[in-house]
Amino acid sequence: MSTLILYILVPVAIFLFIALFTLFAVYAERKIAGFVQDRLGPMETGKFGLLQTFADILKLIQKELITPAAADRILFALAPVVIFVAVFIGFCVVPWAPDFMPANVHTGLFFLMAVVSIDAIGILMAGWGSNNKYSLLGSIRAISQMISYELPVGLTLISAVMITQTLNLNDIAFNQGILAQQDIYLLGIWRVNEIGGFLSWHIFQAPHLLISYVIFFIATLAECNRAPFDIPEAESELIGGFHTEYGGIRFAFIFLAEYAMMFLVAMLGVVIFLGGWNTPLPNIGSLRLADWTTGLGWGIFWTLLKSLTIVAIQIWIRWTLPRFRADQLMTLCWKILIPLAFVCMAISGLWRILILV
Amino acid sequence: MEVALFYAFASLAILSALLVVSLKNTARALFLFFIVLFAMAGLFLFALADFVAITQILVYVGGVLILMIFAFMLSNKELLADLQNKSSKFLSLPNWQSLLLAIGFLAVLAYGIYEWQEHYPQWITENIRSGAIIKAADNNIQELGLHFMTKYLLPFEVISIFLLVALIGAAHLSRKEDIS
Repeated sequence: MSTLILYILVPVAIFLFIALFTLFAVYAERKIAGFVQDRLGPMETGKFGLLQTFADILKLIQKELITPAAADRILFALAPVVIFVAVFIGFCVVPWAPDFMPANVHTGLFFLMAVVSIDAIGILMAGWGSNNKYSLLGSIRAISQMISYELPVGLTLISAVMITQTLNLNDIAFNQGILAQQDIYLLGIWRVNEIGGFLSWHIFQAPHLLISYVIFFIATLAECNRAPFDIPEAESELIGGFHTEYGGIRFAFIFLAEYAMMFLVAMLGVVIFLGGWNTPLPNIGSLRLADWTTGLGWGIFWTLLKSLTIVAIQIWIRWTLPRFRADQLMTLCWKILIPLAFVCMAISGLWRILILV
Repeated sequence: MEVALFYAFASLAILSALLVVSLKNTARALFLFFIVLFAMAGLFLFALADFVAITQILVYVGGVLILMIFAFMLSNKELLADLQNKSSKFLSLPNWQSLLLAIGFLAVLAYGIYEWQEHYPQWITENIRSGAIIKAADNNIQELGLHFMTKYLLPFEVISIFLLVALIGAAHLSRKEDIS
């Protein structure tokens, strides 16, 4: 019985976290946009405009649900659910702290990749169901972009997995800090099991993973359909892309899924490349900084801190760079990112065979 | 609980598969096909084949199904109308072929059930006796990787070459002709 309550409680907690994070992130997005464009951002509602996003969500919840007359009613209504659930399930295998995750499965990373790809079906459903040229064009653009950019994401993840030799996200996070069960080496030379800290993160364990991480970051930006890769919802050409016809709570769910996806990929990158819940502070002699800052509370704190930093960088990039053209987008993916990711994968294989033995 | 889940997935798969073939609306049928594949992935989990289940979602949902929907969206209306206006005579050729296939498959399944009800085949009883069975908590994916790289290396490599050939073929077909 108690496990059943836990099974219900954990998803509710994650959902509440996503909702809160979205409110916070939208506020941060506006404030950062304001900072970049040398203006103030929201200032009217609450102190420093802090209540602005709460007011927005209140407005969205009150709105009437409008279905266009020519739309495919079932697909139109289901699409936001599919989009959100696909991203939501992804959270069930990502660790927050040592052994603290909703589901500890051996195929965690693989599962995550598969589940997140369902998102594309939801977007296609929304585009087709709306029965609107702009929606359909937006969704087709979104799918071609997501499918293309799934390849570099997968290849970079493989290059990291080849070093760590497991698909279990919990084990991957364990092997990047003082709690590692196998020998870990800084740059493949210096054993850092006792020292820990940032020295034992994957990007420092093998230097080519740093390039992998940059590729991963760029490609996941495209996976979330965020600027500079937001041609699926390019306002100047497509009005609103695949969610043109959506309003009210349905639009809120699509929005929620987008921000949840941002956090999910940030957290995944942190777990795979940046040490997950491991502390960045190393043990220096008798100064046991890593030992002191490892644990359940600290784990959650570090995961949140690192992920939110990555999200902040995503927002910063959105308000700094202009949008890509569709052909530039594909050139970047197929001619630059994928070959580079293949090179990283090959280096990973050689690294495993020649250096780690 | 597990039995209930199994029957839920099984009935979901069968019902939505029946709907897929009977729906007039091709777009909805394609999206329903997603549910069939998803339910099938759920059924694979009950066979402790988690890798196969996830691959099913990744390959079929992330790749094949999206391609099918794309093909559907990009093909013109007359072609689709032609496809849907099949002759309704029961004895027309496509019906016969599918009927033959269905009966053949049913016969194989029925034969399997009939045979195995009497006694398990020898290799199964031997494996149960020697303890070479998969448990729910085993790390299947590691076993799979080890076997791919040792015992089944040749088939694995043959499949890789085959996929490479398909990839090169696809790239060749989609290449623009040189006008010069």
